[in-house]
Amino acid sequence: MARNRTKTTKMNLTALMDVFTILVFFLLVNSATTEVLETPKQITLPASVVEEKPRETVVIFVSPTEVTVQGQPVALVADILATENQNIGPIADRLAEVSKNIIGLRTLTVAESKEVTILADRSVPFNVVKKVMSTATSEGYGRISLAVLQKASDKPRS
Amino acid sequence: MARGHHYRRRTSEQTDLDMTSFLNLMVVLVPFLLITAVFSRITIVELSLPSSAGSAEITEPSFRIEVIVRSTGLELTDGSSVISRIPMVDDEYDLGMLAEQVLELKRGHPDDDDASVLLEPQIEYDHLIQVMDVVRSAELPGTDDQEEITRLALFTDVSIGDAP
Repeated sequence: MARNRTKTTKMNLTALMDVFTILVFFLLVNSATTEVLETPKQITLPASVVEEKPRETVVIFVSPTEVTVQGQPVALVADILATENQNIGPIADRLAEVSKNIIGLRTLTVAESKEVTILADRSVPFNVVKKVMSTATSEGYGRISLAVLQKASDKPRS
Repeated sequence: MARGHHYRRRTSEQTDLDMTSFLNLMVVLVPFLLITAVFSRITIVELSLPSSAGSAEITEPSFRIEVIVRSTGLELTDGSSVISRIPMVDDEYDLGMLAEQVLELKRGHPDDDDASVLLEPQIEYDHLIQVMDVVRSAELPGTDDQEEITRLALFTDVSIGDAP
């Protein structure tokens, strides 16, 4: 080849910039709206079409292996399945503790709400959830909510 | 005016914005935000529970729909007698059939809102949520001239219990 000039072609980056700018704006707005309750990583919540937002309450987290109340593990699911009575001791103790240990504004709202939100994995058997719920009601937490993932409505089969 | 012609030089000289620094920012920001983005939202199902310290409630003889979820299938009762049994289809609960029957029951009792879902102990929690969904509201596909799906509230006051 007589001409051996290396020719560098310039890439036209305007389209890339457009896409990145839009993406960045969208993602910034998305991550700016923080949720009251975080999606837990270890469990899969069931999906439902409800639309009520979660509130600032006491959080009971039921994984297939253990139960955690407000961040502190209190009982193992295997133990819960083994006990016969309807109320689970460690959970009741921890709930009582939560209503007594009021440090700041957030713990105050949580304790005064008298409500429990249960985040349970979808494969947890019903009797475990029922025992947790009855323990909560006997500790004075009159309202119970179940956390679910919001799904879009699906068409009926008929 | 003396000058009647444009200065072509001015129009042909374009300043190119140097994109490299902007690109640097984007290339770092977009993957980071994508990784930390949360696209699933958590919502809650509120339950109506009798308070444990409350006095014993007088059971009113009103209509109360109950869905009993057993490992063999579903049963629909009206508080005292079984209305229908819905067997499982392909090892799954037949929620479509349940939805139809609940819709019909609601048409017959438009003012009643109470419902109970009773489960056997070993049933998975996920099935509870699905059955509650079916009982609480239903969807009707829109009529031919409208594309929207209308959502109908059926029995909104759902409580949970053990199957007898």
